[in-house]
Amino acid sequence: MRQLNKHAYACLDSKKVINIVAFSIGVVRRLALGEEEIFGKLCDAVVACDIRAVVEAANEAIEKGVDPVKAIENGLSKGARIIGDKFEKLEIFLPELLIAADAMKAGLDILLAKIPKDKTLKKGTVVCGTVKGDIHEIGKKIVAALLRADGFEVYDLGADVPTSKFIEEAGKVGADIIGLSALMSSTMAAQKDVIDYLKAVGEREKYIVMVGGGPTTQEWASEIGADGYAKTAPEAVELALELVKRKRGKS
Amino acid sequence: MEKALTGRPCSERDYTLKIFATRLKEIVKERDIKYNSEAPIPSDNSLADDIFKAAFDFCVEVGAYCKDTERIIKFEEDEIKERLRTAPSKAVFGEGQDARTLIPRKPEDKTPPWCFLGAGGGPVSSEETFLSLVEGYASIPETNSITTPALTSVSGLRIRPRSPLEALGAIRNAVLAREAMRRVGRPGLPIMNTLATAESAISLAIALHPKYGLRTTDGYMIAIMDPMIVDFDRLNKVCAVLSLNAPVGACFDPLMGGYSGGPEGTAVANVAYHFIAALVYQASWHLPFPLHIKYVCSSTPELLWVISTSGQAISRNTHLLSLNLNYTAAGPLTEMCLYETAASVIAAVVSGLSIEALGVATNKYEDRMTPMEPKFSAEVAHAVAGMKRNEANEIVKDLLGKYMDKITDPPLGKKYQECFDVKRGKPSEKYVEIYNKVKGELEDLGVRFQH
Repeated sequence: MRQLNKHAYACLDSKKVINIVAFSIGVVRRLALGEEEIFGKLCDAVVACDIRAVVEAANEAIEKGVDPVKAIENGLSKGARIIGDKFEKLEIFLPELLIAADAMKAGLDILLAKIPKDKTLKKGTVVCGTVKGDIHEIGKKIVAALLRADGFEVYDLGADVPTSKFIEEAGKVGADIIGLSALMSSTMAAQKDVIDYLKAVGEREKYIVMVGGGPTTQEWASEIGADGYAKTAPEAVELALELVKRKRGKS
Repeated sequence: MEKALTGRPCSERDYTLKIFATRLKEIVKERDIKYNSEAPIPSDNSLADDIFKAAFDFCVEVGAYCKDTERIIKFEEDEIKERLRTAPSKAVFGEGQDARTLIPRKPEDKTPPWCFLGAGGGPVSSEETFLSLVEGYASIPETNSITTPALTSVSGLRIRPRSPLEALGAIRNAVLAREAMRRVGRPGLPIMNTLATAESAISLAIALHPKYGLRTTDGYMIAIMDPMIVDFDRLNKVCAVLSLNAPVGACFDPLMGGYSGGPEGTAVANVAYHFIAALVYQASWHLPFPLHIKYVCSSTPELLWVISTSGQAISRNTHLLSLNLNYTAAGPLTEMCLYETAASVIAAVVSGLSIEALGVATNKYEDRMTPMEPKFSAEVAHAVAGMKRNEANEIVKDLLGKYMDKITDPPLGKKYQECFDVKRGKPSEKYVEIYNKVKGELEDLGVRFQH
């Protein structure tokens, strides 16, 4: 490039060179400004929990030829991090968090479709749900929303999920992680059931199993042979990132 | 039930996000209801009345949601008013010498609050621990009724929901609780959290057989899920209890930071839950326990404000029987746990509520509860009955200053077996020392204990 520029400069008088350089800088600046503006729009739309604005900004990014990877990293993910921080400080509440996660997903659907399949951006795939016999969902929904916001693909199976359903679904979507939530001391045992089932079908090593929810503790997670336990939703996201990284490092 | 079958069809997601959360946020803004961190216990009657009116309108507009029929259960204004008029204004619990009448209170009321004491359904590891704890709770002089722990296993097998183990656990829950009360000479005391071990309707129904010792003078607590959601399993429990002509108590825990939003929305929702409970469950008594979504306790300044304002709203505008259940972040054998429970109990009692005490250390750790925390809570509750709200406000502000810096990483303290002589039912010297120290500090702040 440097060679080419040198050659081009040699063919031109100095005044023309100055004009061309000035023009080029302008183009680059405008392009950069355009990109920055779209990143800002994506980020702001996620923070505003505005699904329609996220979709518009994602489409605009595609139309203007913005690199979708950059749009996700500098736009959507930036917004998601802001939302996560705001929820952590309780500057926003659960409804805003859930809607922002939906907005993030709507934007991701548009931008990911433009990224070649071999160039994956997903940080991992998670199948999660509240275990059999337990109908409490709020904590699990928070974790799912924060995981999505951080770039995980999340399949939330809902509440009172039969043991075998976790394993079937994990196989179907090629999950990295199975996340098991339980809010009652009487339903914690169903977390162990999933691990026992995985062992029985010879698939324990295939998945990372994370547990959480009201009555669960690190001691319980260790006792039943889970790979990870997190006390809070942000800790669960950190742990998921670390465990996936470790798993991929091994394979 | 008819309303649950014929109400407007709606997905749960739309009900929770588009209807409940959206309308609650709007109504708080329209009514200009604002949280004030300087006044966790406000003395402003008009604020309480505004919250009451907002909750009434919110209840009319939003209704409750039935998970099984996926329909909204709605009520007309007149239906709510009529139910508030006809709901019981008193209820007798217990038998013989232990029978007492639960009556409504008003803000700054000198009437001693009902003290519903024990473990709040906290998990225990063994039947021996269960028995010993309930003996301790029943021995507290201020105890009007017992909230038992929950067994987590039966004959060494961990209890599973809706399984025969849960049914057996529920039976043992009833039998052991009655036995514990007989042992300390208070056989007539009522159990008011029904059976902490009976999560499902079928387990409750099985354990309701009279030979296991439950009575119609016990209190039967049934949960409404957040945000104002019911299902057939819980409605089946209501059906079973009402068919025995026993009193249904509804418990509900709007989460501050959850679907109800901030403290303002949580206070409005907490009041609206009372109406839904009285209408859908035909509840004759109410057990709100608003909690912080992150810290799972009721002792932050926002939660004290929620307890106080919603308590004032209910007690000033209705005769509903309402008891606040509090959770602490810290565990037994810590000063923080006692400061926290004192703050929540004071907020409830001076605002016109009675109390259930308590869920210790977020109520999640096995055996991490003792009779000391409810005993202390009851002593504080009796001591502050009749106290002015502005005086109470200053006291809880002082208390908040003693623990809020530790709320993100609270000390979990010790297990029952580690800070009590379980056989003799006596606290360790160290725990007595902590109890006396905190009690002394409260006296210095203006709390006048009766003993």
